[in-house]
Amino acid sequence: MAQVVGSNRKRWLEAVLVYAVLAVLVLGFVFPLIWVLGLSLKTRLQIFATPPLYLWWPTLENYADVLTRADFAQAFINTLIVSTSAVVLSLCVGVPAAYAFARFPFTGRTFLFFALLVMRMLPPIAVLVPMYVLFSKLGLATTRFSVVLADTTFALPLVVWLMRGFFEDLPAELEESAWIDGASRYRAFWHIVLPLARPGLVAAGILCLQLAWNDFLFAAVLTNNATQTLPVMMAAFNAGDSGVDWGGLTASGVLVILPVIIFSFIAQKHLVAGLSSGAVKG
Amino acid sequence: MAETGGSELARPALIAPASPGAAWRLRGIVLDRYFTRVAILPTFVVMLGVFGMPLAFSFYLSFTGYAQGQGLFSGGYVGLENYQDLLSDPAFTGSITITLVYTAAAVAAEMVLGLGIALLLNIDLPGIRICRTALIIPMMVTPIVGALCWKLLLDPSHGVINHWIGQHIVWLGRPDTALAAIWIVGVWQSTPYVMLILLAGLRSLPSEPTEAAAIDGASRWQVFWHITLPLLRPYLLVGLLLRTIFEFRAFDNIYAMTGGGPANSTMVLSMFTYLMSFVRFDFGLGAASSWLMLLMALLLCLFFIALIRRREVT
Repeated sequence: MAQVVGSNRKRWLEAVLVYAVLAVLVLGFVFPLIWVLGLSLKTRLQIFATPPLYLWWPTLENYADVLTRADFAQAFINTLIVSTSAVVLSLCVGVPAAYAFARFPFTGRTFLFFALLVMRMLPPIAVLVPMYVLFSKLGLATTRFSVVLADTTFALPLVVWLMRGFFEDLPAELEESAWIDGASRYRAFWHIVLPLARPGLVAAGILCLQLAWNDFLFAAVLTNNATQTLPVMMAAFNAGDSGVDWGGLTASGVLVILPVIIFSFIAQKHLVAGLSSGAVKG
Repeated sequence: MAETGGSELARPALIAPASPGAAWRLRGIVLDRYFTRVAILPTFVVMLGVFGMPLAFSFYLSFTGYAQGQGLFSGGYVGLENYQDLLSDPAFTGSITITLVYTAAAVAAEMVLGLGIALLLNIDLPGIRICRTALIIPMMVTPIVGALCWKLLLDPSHGVINHWIGQHIVWLGRPDTALAAIWIVGVWQSTPYVMLILLAGLRSLPSEPTEAAAIDGASRWQVFWHITLPLLRPYLLVGLLLRTIFEFRAFDNIYAMTGGGPANSTMVLSMFTYLMSFVRFDFGLGAASSWLMLLMALLLCLFFIALIRRREVT
């Protein structure tokens, strides 16, 4: 639905106004990140210069420092392991369930679905308290596996919501004819339904990845120095006693958000569907 | 894909004569009857094991006392003491107020700003897509990193914001400015969510009612107020529901920027529960506090879901 617009001159004036307002908004929203990107490309002296430098010869020394730090590399690897495992686990567990929700009536379907919705809505800290106590008794606290499980709890409802929508939009005739040809439900699901749902799988996977990559709370409680993820390490940067290392903080911040921004742009089309979690179609 | 209506064509296979694979096929049919259960089982196990069981356990914990190096069931039963302690603790009751005030203020700002931006982005102009892309970046940034960026901008001595306004304000160290600073960061991060949902809504609206009204001589404002806004209502409600739920659990920004201080002025419920459980290690109190939080979140949820449902019926 495009806006209805009046005469040509009025229209032109209006366009200028819209562009002006949008320019201010874009500047406001992007400025903090641009400024931080700038800080990460300054030397220590330049960072604390008064008045702040607006033009300078960029340096990569902060990045070189961060990338040679052993704890950064370790945290990066941990984040990678945790988030990819969470994605794989959530998809393996959630996709078949989403298919069942979309296609087969079964007892307790409404209740289970409602329970999943509640799972997504409840505050993570409330689940984390008992989870930490249970995990530490099982010897799982401070392992990456515990973070994967915790992340999965919150990624799973997202996967089920999103994939159910995708499966419902697929025509049922294809699987039905496969069943009639003698294929089992399992075969039909694996060979016919899943390949058709590939775009949905990619979108759900990327949304889970974003969720797990950005998670701070679970990782902060369920990891130690050896298993910490990037967001946890970032927060620790901030808490250092010897004053915050602005160069290191900004450079590692940029390195943490870069991958997730790239992923999010790939999944941009599906972001809305994922956000509204099936509450709104389309 | 070639035969969308292929079920009729394929039907003869049903009456195919018994083949060597018949026995296997029969077993397959028996297994097929369990397909739904097999498909649901993993999700069910995860929900029960990683979500349901901990919640039930935390319900139990909330009735037990503090125990150093707590064993699973070692905290003695204390009845409702934890709940009584919480409800008589000004830090906790204060944190309920702060959470509600913060949630209401953040959601209101996000909805208004998000709607405004969505309306602007819905106008067909060249280059509008670039603006849209730029405007959704804040919501993609890892929240804790976004909050740390703002902390540097707001730094009293070296922050660029203080430099520009030419004053030395300790934004995060004063009870009267800390919550406002956190509010700004929250709005910065989450307005794009609302904007995206509403933009999707605007794009899906039928154009006929608006056009008809314009032809009948309705002003822009009238069209917006009497046609666009009511049509957009389901999307507004979904945005409202999601943002309320997510602002209610706000944690990362506050942890990174103030840790609940100064003088508890930014102590939201998530932060309070975190401090009780993982700084004081009083899991009984933490569990009680998280159960109260759960109940409040559930009430909020049910309220909004009822609102959405009622709309769908009428």
